[in-house]
Amino acid sequence: MKVNKIILRNIRNYVNLSLDFTQGINIFIGQNAQGKTNILESIYYGAMGRSHRTNVDAELIRWQQEDGSITIVFSRMNIENSLVMKLSNSQKKEIISNHYAIKPRELIGLLNVVLFSPEDLMLIKGMPAMRRRFLDIEISQANPSYYQQLLKYNRIVSQRNNLLKKIRENKDKPDMLDAWDEQLAVAASKIVTKRQEAVKKLAMLANLMHRKITASKENLTLVYHKHEITETGAENLIKEYKAKFVQQRQNDIWRGSTSIGPHKDDLILTVNGINLRTFGSQGQQRTGVLSLKLAELEFIKSETGEYPILLLDDVMSELDATRREHLLVFIKDRVQTIITATEEKYFPDWEFGKYFHVENGTIVE
Amino acid sequence: MQYIAPLAKLIEQFRALPGIGSKSAARLAYHVLEMDKSRAESLAQAIIEAKEKIGYCDVCFNLTDCNPCSICRDAGRDVSIVCVMEEPRDVAAVERTREYRGRYHVLHGQLSPLEGVGPNDIRIKELLTRIGEGEIQEVIMATNPDVEGEATAMYIARLLKPLGIKVTRIAHGLPVGGDLEYADEVTLSKAMENRREM
Repeated sequence: MKVNKIILRNIRNYVNLSLDFTQGINIFIGQNAQGKTNILESIYYGAMGRSHRTNVDAELIRWQQEDGSITIVFSRMNIENSLVMKLSNSQKKEIISNHYAIKPRELIGLLNVVLFSPEDLMLIKGMPAMRRRFLDIEISQANPSYYQQLLKYNRIVSQRNNLLKKIRENKDKPDMLDAWDEQLAVAASKIVTKRQEAVKKLAMLANLMHRKITASKENLTLVYHKHEITETGAENLIKEYKAKFVQQRQNDIWRGSTSIGPHKDDLILTVNGINLRTFGSQGQQRTGVLSLKLAELEFIKSETGEYPILLLDDVMSELDATRREHLLVFIKDRVQTIITATEEKYFPDWEFGKYFHVENGTIVE
Repeated sequence: MQYIAPLAKLIEQFRALPGIGSKSAARLAYHVLEMDKSRAESLAQAIIEAKEKIGYCDVCFNLTDCNPCSICRDAGRDVSIVCVMEEPRDVAAVERTREYRGRYHVLHGQLSPLEGVGPNDIRIKELLTRIGEGEIQEVIMATNPDVEGEATAMYIARLLKPLGIKVTRIAHGLPVGGDLEYADEVTLSKAMENRREM
């Protein structure tokens, strides 16, 4: 997959910007707050229908402007496609794929990206929600129907939580929960099964990467941990979820939320048998994240047939020379990459890619 | 541009209708202004008449101009089967098939705790009363295949099972006449799940 061109009109600090990308590595160099990340954000927006920096679309529109648009021209299996996202302060956003309007949920899976930003370095140390999000984004890109199932699951959970609160206030009867628990168990089992399949594949890829980076000194394992659930297989999972929902019912009513389900699960990483989150050194955790991100590229390739576009947001300065080298060697001639950095010193002398210098909303190649 | 008062009022009335934006509302209003007076009067009359003459059937809660409605009165229809639907327009859709010969029950909504809709806010009690009369043997749950419709069907099914009533759910799957390859992933996986032996 390759981004050929983007056109930004009234997006962040760009009034009117048109940029052509090269097949290989594209490097945006500039001081802070000059508009480097805005380029990555626009491409990410085209892939996920939302920004990685904010939940409010209107923040992307240039200050004091009524509307703005992002146009992305990209090749998928060597066929050129276009995506236009029109954002407005007063109207709903419009998404146009190859000249036809599509719904936001139809967007995911058209343009595949992997984003690696400084926040990802917290992936291992941070809260379980970050790791679930990592899995969800990755699986959704490779399998858009997973995303629909996830939306459905979340909808059932929020309906059920609302009902739990009403029961707590004696405004509804506990047996009303039966109608939701049945569906919730089925939806939960589907999500978990898909996540487990993905983790199995990802674990293998991530360990390959990890051994390469650590010169075979470390073995990385990934395990999908189901909160309070032990069964496997779709049918057994449904049964166990149903039983656990009943068992936890009083507790759930008291808390006003659903205590069991894939929205409580976690991804556990270990290196040579040691839990990376609790006992790993900072360096080991960073290597772990790097292995995961590289595995994510391979995962999407194995599911869709093409490498996604790699967006590296200011991570070069966060990685040491060896890890940087591993990353750059991996992507060279393989993955189209768009990098932002403050200085050129992070990049090797060898013929490397196309440099863009960013200064206060203007870009010079 | 500022519209003159009576025109602005008419546009506002149209704009409040579902699916009509301000441009369509203005177009409709100008169209009404160009009508003959008699034509405009018959439009207004039709609205008033529809409002006055149409109410809910006391038995099935479908829209009707006579009570009980023509479907509930029809002796040729099977009284032992009832199809449960969310809205009157769903009844109209099933009626167009001319295949179904049972009766209906319209709930007027679906269970949704997020919107504050519970079992007492839709016509579930009325369905139980009908079943208590003893003629009904099968209830077909034809609520929408979304999360809330599914929960509504499940809730009612659980109420009816202990009464010894046969409860069925309409099938989900491929649209007839469509190409398999054009079906979306969710529909197709539902169709796979609900496959039947031949």
